[in-house]
Amino acid sequence: MGNWSLGRMKVAKHKKVVVIPCSGIGKALGSVSREATYEVIEDFRKGVTDTTCLALIVSGNEETLQLVKNNKCITIDGCPLQCAAKNVKLAGGDLAASFRVVDTLRENRRLKPKTVTFLDQDGQELAHLLAEQVAEKVDELLRK
Amino acid sequence: MSEYLKTVFDKFELRVRKGYYYTEDGLWISMEEGRVRVGVSDYVQRTGGDVAFVGLVKQGSTIERQGEFGTLETAKTTVSLLSPMSGTVEEANGRLVEKPELVNSDPYGEGWLVTLAPRKLENELKTLMSADGYFELMLKKLETEHGKLESR
Amino acid sequence: MVDLPERKVGIISCSGEGCLEGTISRVATRLVLEKLRPEETVTICLPLFLAGGGEERAFAKYYPIITVDGCDKLCAKVGTERYSGKPAGSIVVADPAKSHGCSRLRSPRELDSKSLALAEKVAERIAQEVDEVLEHWR
Repeated sequence: MGNWSLGRMKVAKHKKVVVIPCSGIGKALGSVSREATYEVIEDFRKGVTDTTCLALIVSGNEETLQLVKNNKCITIDGCPLQCAAKNVKLAGGDLAASFRVVDTLRENRRLKPKTVTFLDQDGQELAHLLAEQVAEKVDELLRK
Repeated sequence: MSEYLKTVFDKFELRVRKGYYYTEDGLWISMEEGRVRVGVSDYVQRTGGDVAFVGLVKQGSTIERQGEFGTLETAKTTVSLLSPMSGTVEEANGRLVEKPELVNSDPYGEGWLVTLAPRKLENELKTLMSADGYFELMLKKLETEHGKLESR
Repeated sequence: MVDLPERKVGIISCSGEGCLEGTISRVATRLVLEKLRPEETVTICLPLFLAGGGEERAFAKYYPIITVDGCDKLCAKVGTERYSGKPAGSIVVADPAKSHGCSRLRSPRELDSKSLALAEKVAERIAQEVDEVLEHWR
């Protein structure tokens, strides 16, 4: 799945899908959530997606809260605690979809990401596969 | 009084359930009427990481002490599950198919693995450690193996 | 009674998706944890800490914390002050005087050599703060 042209689909002016990773700093899958987010917003669906820091949501930053309330949000969580999904919901954000990295891992059992700071090959591949799934969901949300 | 022996390492609280019996590998059994329930300790789930798959032998299978009865597959490794006792598997925890994370979130409760009808209970119980004994072992392991603890 | 661990310093880094300096603060924190001061440090997950994560809050209550922020929003520092107390040390990667503004960025693997060098420099600074905190703890 390559880059995607804005012209193919009508997009509501100023509306974007906000992709929010948990970015858990202690686990490989937290890094995967972050990497997948960047692939979506900078490669797959550039121009129609955005991201923001989960900490700004949790701490109640007004500008960030408006962003997540006024746009559809997709969260990507690296562990079962699901900090991103729970906190976006708690903040009143429009949580349209939530992904768990472990679910993509379960679909791709051969991948065993081990490193956290700089993702290894398995981690990068996992992020890429997850980013493709998220990009599809972005399309679906933008069609609505 | 707490049901657990507890210690804190870094920011992690690690618990050992009192009244259970343990292998050195961190498998526990709890005694129920006519059977034993088997699971993994808090230390095992914490060092193994987030569980993505649990593979268990089928109901009715016969297993020997120290024989493999399943695996825990996490994001980073696969943990072989060696049985604390010989016996016949009465039940494998079916909930773990869809919710493997129960092993992490509740290792002494809803994250149980199998129940066994034990064949050599009295003899094989002597090979297991009490909660106090396993707790001491865990403290020693923490000194040398703490790098394995997965952070958040 | 739960035993408290040995002398450890917690490091709270911002999440930092929004800009290059956020990624640098994250990478620098990981370098300290993995290479520079692995025995002496613990990372605290900021969103979990802010949201009330038990282990995170408990650690921050009893142990010194160093915060690392990528920008002047200071999520890590402000959050720590709110839920734990004044951090023992506080580092901000973005220098308003020098920075030409946050550049949107990407994953750690795409950091160029200049950014990597900055991450390593920040990591050294964090490590120095850790040493100072531990020195005062004696």
